[in-house]
Amino acid sequence: MTQEDIVQEPPISQKWVTCDGHQLCKLAQAGLYWLEHNCQHVNALNVFPVPDGDTGTNMLLTMRSAYNRIQNGDEGHVGKVAQELSQGALMGARGNSGVILSQIWRGLAKSLKNKAAFTTVDLAEALQEAADTAYKGVMRPVEGTILTVIREGAEEAQDAAEKSQDLRFMTERVLERCQQSLARTPDLLPILKQAGVVDSGGQGLVYLFEGMLRYVHGQLDEMENGAAAGVTAVPAQALAAPEQGNLEFPYDVQFILMGENLDVLKVRADIDAMGDSTVVVGDEKVIKVHIHVKDPGEPISYGIRHGLISDVVVENMQMQMEEIIQAAPAEAGQRGSLTRSPLVNEGPIIEPGQIGVIAVTAGAGLGRVFRSLGAAAVVNGGQTNNPSTEEIFQAIQDVPTNKIIILPNNKNIILTAEAARDLSPKDVVVVATRTAPQGISAMLSLELNGDLEAVAEAMQEMSTQVVSGEITRATRSVTLDGVAVEEGQYIGLVDGRLAVSASELDELLSPLLETMAVGECEILSLYYGEEVSQAEAETFSEQIEALYPDLEIELLAGNQPHYYYILGAE
Amino acid sequence: MTIRIVTDSTCDLPTAVAEQLKITVVPAYVNIGDQSFLDGIELTRAQFYRELEGYPTPPTTAAPASGAFTQVYEQLADEGATEIISIHVASKLSGVLNAARLGAEDTEVKVSLFDSQSLSMGLGLLAQVAAEAAADGRSLDEVMALLDSAVRRTYVFALLDTLEFLRRSGRVNWAQFGIGTLLKIKPLVRVFGGVLEMQEKIRTSKKATEKMIERIAELGQYERVALLHTDAPQEVEHLRHQLAHLIPAGSRPPAVLVTPAIGSHVGPRALGFAGILAS
Repeated sequence: MTQEDIVQEPPISQKWVTCDGHQLCKLAQAGLYWLEHNCQHVNALNVFPVPDGDTGTNMLLTMRSAYNRIQNGDEGHVGKVAQELSQGALMGARGNSGVILSQIWRGLAKSLKNKAAFTTVDLAEALQEAADTAYKGVMRPVEGTILTVIREGAEEAQDAAEKSQDLRFMTERVLERCQQSLARTPDLLPILKQAGVVDSGGQGLVYLFEGMLRYVHGQLDEMENGAAAGVTAVPAQALAAPEQGNLEFPYDVQFILMGENLDVLKVRADIDAMGDSTVVVGDEKVIKVHIHVKDPGEPISYGIRHGLISDVVVENMQMQMEEIIQAAPAEAGQRGSLTRSPLVNEGPIIEPGQIGVIAVTAGAGLGRVFRSLGAAAVVNGGQTNNPSTEEIFQAIQDVPTNKIIILPNNKNIILTAEAARDLSPKDVVVVATRTAPQGISAMLSLELNGDLEAVAEAMQEMSTQVVSGEITRATRSVTLDGVAVEEGQYIGLVDGRLAVSASELDELLSPLLETMAVGECEILSLYYGEEVSQAEAETFSEQIEALYPDLEIELLAGNQPHYYYILGAE
Repeated sequence: MTIRIVTDSTCDLPTAVAEQLKITVVPAYVNIGDQSFLDGIELTRAQFYRELEGYPTPPTTAAPASGAFTQVYEQLADEGATEIISIHVASKLSGVLNAARLGAEDTEVKVSLFDSQSLSMGLGLLAQVAAEAAADGRSLDEVMALLDSAVRRTYVFALLDTLEFLRRSGRVNWAQFGIGTLLKIKPLVRVFGGVLEMQEKIRTSKKATEKMIERIAELGQYERVALLHTDAPQEVEHLRHQLAHLIPAGSRPPAVLVTPAIGSHVGPRALGFAGILAS
């Protein structure tokens, strides 16, 4: 639908005291148009772990199904139009947000059933019925969602109806209240606050209402999106911009192909040859086609040659991309894709009663690995930089739970960790890991809600399931563990003990891996240190691959000092 | 008296089995980009896995419209059903049961709703239990009692090859999982009592399968089982071989290619097991 389809009549006149079926039809169309226009913004608000990753799409499909029942616009009885909208929404609803939207229409329709046209009083009643029906539509209503938005909107309508008979006045007030209500959703629902977004379903409803009011004001042609319209903006990171540059296939083309004896596989192959991101699905009678192409005429002509086509959508992604790049702040513009939501945070938020793991490790990359596996805190420290008892003690006190497990990840830190444990009034267990890979392996057995002793035991057991290797340079000449080393030579440690030495890194690799018995392992994690570039690390990883072709190698930036590489073999 | 069973496409029942037992399967939706497909119908299982990794956007899923349930219930009533049992994917994991509830409220037809507290063939096996009992001429109360008992013995295990899909699905409280995506981890998850829980986090394939078998076996003997996979046909046959001692004598459980609505949340190359313990 384009805006020209809608704005073919002058906006609703100044004096607006009743709304008939024709007008409701226009309002629904305008709402649908505005929702469609802002659909991606609503989708982008879906930051997991909020369920149902595509609220905008689901609400749009629901609303489209509702509007399809009334689109010819020839019904003047508002109750009948509402009834049709309700039926269409009920049949087309999908997803939780779609179900709630269908219930809103259902409530409105029920209340307006016998009205040829509605007044402010009728609309206020109908919105109340809509809110009530929406609440009944979910098993466990949650505040801070679309439910709150429709309920408060209905309250406002009630209040407006007592003051004026002007529908314009009422709808403006309702929209404003819904926007305020939406802005407050993060205060009511902590998960939204954590993610830094407003509720997506509520946002969808606000867009729907906003489109309607824009029609009333004759403003639908103003193409600004949410931010300009005073609606809560999508956080920049949720709209991470794609890389700069020109798209090879700038047009997104979609249509439905209908015919007899269509050959899906052949159509898919033919379409696929025209561009990328092909989705061709269907049967011998109906096929949905989606493709990114250089020339939108090509797939469309193809469709016409093979049958009838409908629901044709052509979008210029190049322009969309440029809009997003312009809208996104510079720091968000580095990489990312439109379709993937950002991680809320790297590690868990530990609650009282759960187990908080404190990992001691050097290097931001290794710290991130520990956090991503569920560590509550990371204390910086390692071989030449042992943390003080005080630092570990402070971390114990800072983690908001009384059950603590410490992973020293270095033999020289175990005693410090134990000293910190003895100082703390909390229940603290030290799982005596001696290397970072041991600690990382132990993390796999962490159950945040488990029994402290049992979990610590499982983590201890798990830490033995990995063979650790470390590569560094000797700081002095020494003979240790039966290996003679000269100052400046490369040395390799296995599970914390000196195992091999060599003048060149290349010479060290093979005997080190052999000592680690890598041949019996499936996976090797390779963490490269702060002195190693990614390119060097990749070359190193390829050397290992050449020696052990069956081994799966995971290369990660550990950013650790002193150790060029830390290896974990499982 | 005629009891008919209604379920949804997340049940994973092979079409032939559903048809034979006269189980009506209402399809959920799988959304890819802004296109929406009826699970298993507009988008078949084989097609989905063939195309999964090439989709421009990751697939998501949505419950059927309540109107779809109303239609099915009324149609079954027209065909002579006097009672309908509508049994669905765990309400803690999906809005399907809620849509069915709203659908049932819109019709005069008598519908008994049942929360399977499970998914995939866990739900499928329960629907089978109900359909077989109904075909045997059991009363509504008897069938519901059978379900009440069986649901407490129904377990689903899944060994995922990648965390990416489950992470995106929002179906789990990720912080509670305590796992990120920096390292490759194969999570072994279990669904029981409507809750999806992490059982093990495993790094290597060999240990992963061992752990899964250990977890499945430690629960006891099963009266019904099914094997599941998301496009890992060889691995699932291997699993069948390794689980031979747990499979009820004389039965050859299907190795079910999981429906797109579930596959969207677990991703490709996952292995699974659904079973109802012997009472």
